[in-house]
Amino acid sequence: MKNRLRVLRAERNWSQAELAGQLEVSRQTVNAIETGKYDPSLPLAFKVARLFGRSIESVFEYEDDFAQGDGAR
Amino acid sequence: MTSTEKAVARANSRRAGILAIAWLALFMVGRLMLERSDLPTWARLAFALAPTPIFVGFLVAYVRGVRAMDELEQKIHTEALALAFWLAVLLLTTLALMQRAVGLKFEDWSYMHVWVYLPVFYFGAIAFVGARYRSTEGDQ
Repeated sequence: MKNRLRVLRAERNWSQAELAGQLEVSRQTVNAIETGKYDPSLPLAFKVARLFGRSIESVFEYEDDFAQGDGAR
Repeated sequence: MTSTEKAVARANSRRAGILAIAWLALFMVGRLMLERSDLPTWARLAFALAPTPIFVGFLVAYVRGVRAMDELEQKIHTEALALAFWLAVLLLTTLALMQRAVGLKFEDWSYMHVWVYLPVFYFGAIAFVGARYRSTEGDQ
């Protein structure tokens, strides 16, 4: 899953620690989400989207082989 | 995590650590005392059962500590436990076969001693699994 968390955070000049504080998770979690090493749970994804005033789809993008690959079968 | 949640998690981790050390100390004392043959049955039972409530206390503190962690930390601990469990099974079965194959010295390499390696596997697995989610990019 790809996400725009780093971009959105940079737009607000927040550090990972500040964002982590607002999301009530550890800085390691924010870092792991930003670098794509960890996909957040649905409640956390909703929390992220709400914090930035966006929909989940505009923050997180599901990388589907079907959507990226050969297109409609 | 809020500062209160962090404080709760830290307090529970500290409590779990202290109780684990207390349990180990009681276990070692119990083992030592049970070597003696002059103890009455009630005393032998007392030494054998004394570490149990301490371990229950450790377990409660450990579970509370894990519940106070955030979702990634919980995932790391769950994966580490799974890894530690199967590593222990691997060591157990390998030692059992090795013992039959070449007759390992029972005092040094008995499969009965595998439990000692469980915490080693667990903490090693936490470091290993945690590294998978850690980035070298840091805070940007």
